Amino acid sequence: MPQEIVSPEGLRVDGRRERELRKISCRTGVFSQADGSAYLELGNTKCLAAVYGPREPTRRAMQLHDRAVINVEYNVASFSMGERKQKLRKDRRLMEIASMIKQTFEPVILTKEFPRSEIDIYLQILQVDGGAVHAAINAATLALLDAGIPMTDYVAACSAGYVGDTPILGKGRTIICFKVAQRIYDVIPTDLNYIEESAEVPTLTVALLPKTGKVTMLGLEARLHLDKFAEVINLAADGCTQLHTELDKTIRKAAQSLAKTAI
Amino acid sequence: MSMISVSERDFITKGIDASIRADGRGRQDLRDLRLETGMITQASGSCRISIDGGTDVLVGVKVEVGSVEPDLEGEAEVEAVGDDEEGGEVAGRDRDVGRVVCTVDCSPSATRIFDPRDVEDMCNEYSQFLNRILNGPHGGLDLKSLCIVPGSTCWILNIDALILDYGGNLLDAILIATRGALHNTRIPRTMVEQSDGHVEFDIAEEETEVVNGWENVPACVTVTKIGSRHIVDATPLEEMCAEAQIRVAVNRKGHLCAVQKSGKGGIDPSLLADMLQTGKVIGQALLKSTDAALEQDAQRIERGEPALGFFRLE
Repeated sequence: MPQEIVSPEGLRVDGRRERELRKISCRTGVFSQADGSAYLELGNTKCLAAVYGPREPTRRAMQLHDRAVINVEYNVASFSMGERKQKLRKDRRLMEIASMIKQTFEPVILTKEFPRSEIDIYLQILQVDGGAVHAAINAATLALLDAGIPMTDYVAACSAGYVGDTPILGKGRTIICFKVAQRIYDVIPTDLNYIEESAEVPTLTVALLPKTGKVTMLGLEARLHLDKFAEVINLAADGCTQLHTELDKTIRKAAQSLAKTAI
Repeated sequence: MSMISVSERDFITKGIDASIRADGRGRQDLRDLRLETGMITQASGSCRISIDGGTDVLVGVKVEVGSVEPDLEGEAEVEAVGDDEEGGEVAGRDRDVGRVVCTVDCSPSATRIFDPRDVEDMCNEYSQFLNRILNGPHGGLDLKSLCIVPGSTCWILNIDALILDYGGNLLDAILIATRGALHNTRIPRTMVEQSDGHVEFDIAEEETEVVNGWENVPACVTVTKIGSRHIVDATPLEEMCAEAQIRVAVNRKGHLCAVQKSGKGGIDPSLLADMLQTGKVIGQALLKSTDAALEQDAQRIERGEPALGFFRLE
C-alpha cells in the first residue's frame, strides 16, 4: 500500500496544504572570501552557493572574445541524503544538473559586459529533502546578486507535482475506496519534499523570470497527462513568484545594511 | 593564489625569524575557532568548524549497519589455536569491532585555489590519515561497542568531511570537526536476541546512544617549519613558504597518537624534538578549549535552540 501522499482532508505528509511552500530562510554573504555567496534553506533542504567573478579565466582556451564564460559546479554532500551515497569522481547526473543550471543563467546574466572573463558558480547541497535543484537555483540567484553581477531579472525556481487519478497511484488501493475519494485526490502540490518526490509523484521543476513570467528552465521526469500540464505549470509559476518575493526581501535587506555601513 | 613572490616569501620568513607573523600572532598562537554541532539534521551527527581567516570545514557522520570485516590475517592463527570455542564466537582480531570509514571531500567553492589534480591527492592523503588514526589502536573510539553481533554485524561510522573554504591549517580543523561530529552522533540502540543458535538484532527507533570514546579522539596540530623556526596554524601564504611540516596527533592524556612529516625539506633532530613538544602542548590546550565549546553547544541543543549554522552573523 503506497504511503498516502495527501490525506483525505487535503493535508500533505508534512502538514502543508496544496499550494503551501516550505519555510524559506536565506542569507547572503556567508563566505568572506567569495565575491558573492548565499545560504538557502527550503524546509529541510539546505544549499550553499558561492560565486567568483568576473575574473580571469583559469583556462585560457575557455575564454570568449565578446562575453564572459559561466562555469557551474554542483556538488551534493555524501551525508546529505537519507541513505549515504558515495560520491563518484565524475557523477554524470551531477554534471548534467550543473550544465542545466548554467543554461538557466546564461541568458539572464549580462555576460556581454565582461568579455574574456569567467564567472564561477559553485553550488553545494548540504541536506536534501526534495527540491535540491530548485533550491540550488534560488541560492545561485542570491549569490550572483550578492556578487554584484548584473542580471536582467531574478531567477526563481520551484517544483510542482500532480497527485490524482493516475495509474501510478492507483496501484495497491482497492478500487472502491479510490473512487469515493477521487475528487479529493486531484491535488497539485507545490515544492515537493523527499517523500513526495520518491513516491512517484510526477514532479515538474520550473525556473522563472518573475518580471516577464518567462520560463528559463523546465524539467519533468515522469508521466503527466497533457490536460493537467497547464494547471501544474501555473501552480509552479505561482510558487516561483512567492519565492521571488522572499529572495527580493533578502537582497534588499542586505543592500540596506550595506548602504548604512557605507556612510 | 597558489603563487608567492620572492619578496613575500622573504617578508614572511624574516618575520617569523623575529617572531612576528603577518596577522600579528605569535609563533605559537592559534586563530580563533568557531564551532557548531548538529546543523545537518538528516545525518547522525555533524559539526562545522570555521577559522577566522577562511578555513571552513563541515563534517557529517552517518551510521549504518554493515558486516564485520573478516580477519584475513588472523584466520590461520585462529585455526591453529583449536576448536575449543563455539563457531561464530571466535575472538579473532577484527571480528568483534565496528569500524570507521573516513572520506574527505572538497566542495567546489574551495577547489578554486588548488589545481584539480592536487585536490584529489590532498583529499586522499587526509582521508588516509583520518582512517589510520580513527581505526588504529589509539584512535580513542571504543570500536568494540560498535559491534552488534560478533562475527557478523556491526555499526559502521561513515565520516564525511567537506571542505567548504580554504584558509590554511585544514587537517587540524578537519580532525577537530570530526571530534565534534562524533560527540554529536547518536547511534540507535540495538537489542540482540539469541534464539536456537540464530542471533537476531532489533534496532530501536527512538532510543539512541552516544559514541563511546569520542573524548579520547586525538587532536592534530600541524607544526610548520619556516627558516629555522616553527609555527602553528599556518595561513595559506605561510604554508607556501614552508620547508617541512610535522603533523602531531595528541590525545587528552598527552599521548602522541600519530606523527607524520610532509614537505621537501629536512628537519634537524633537535628541532624535531622541539616541534613535537610544541605540538603536544598546543594540542592539549586545543582539546581543552574545544571540549569546553562542545559542552556549551551540547547545552544549547538540550535547551532546544536550533543551530544558527550559516545564519550566524560573521
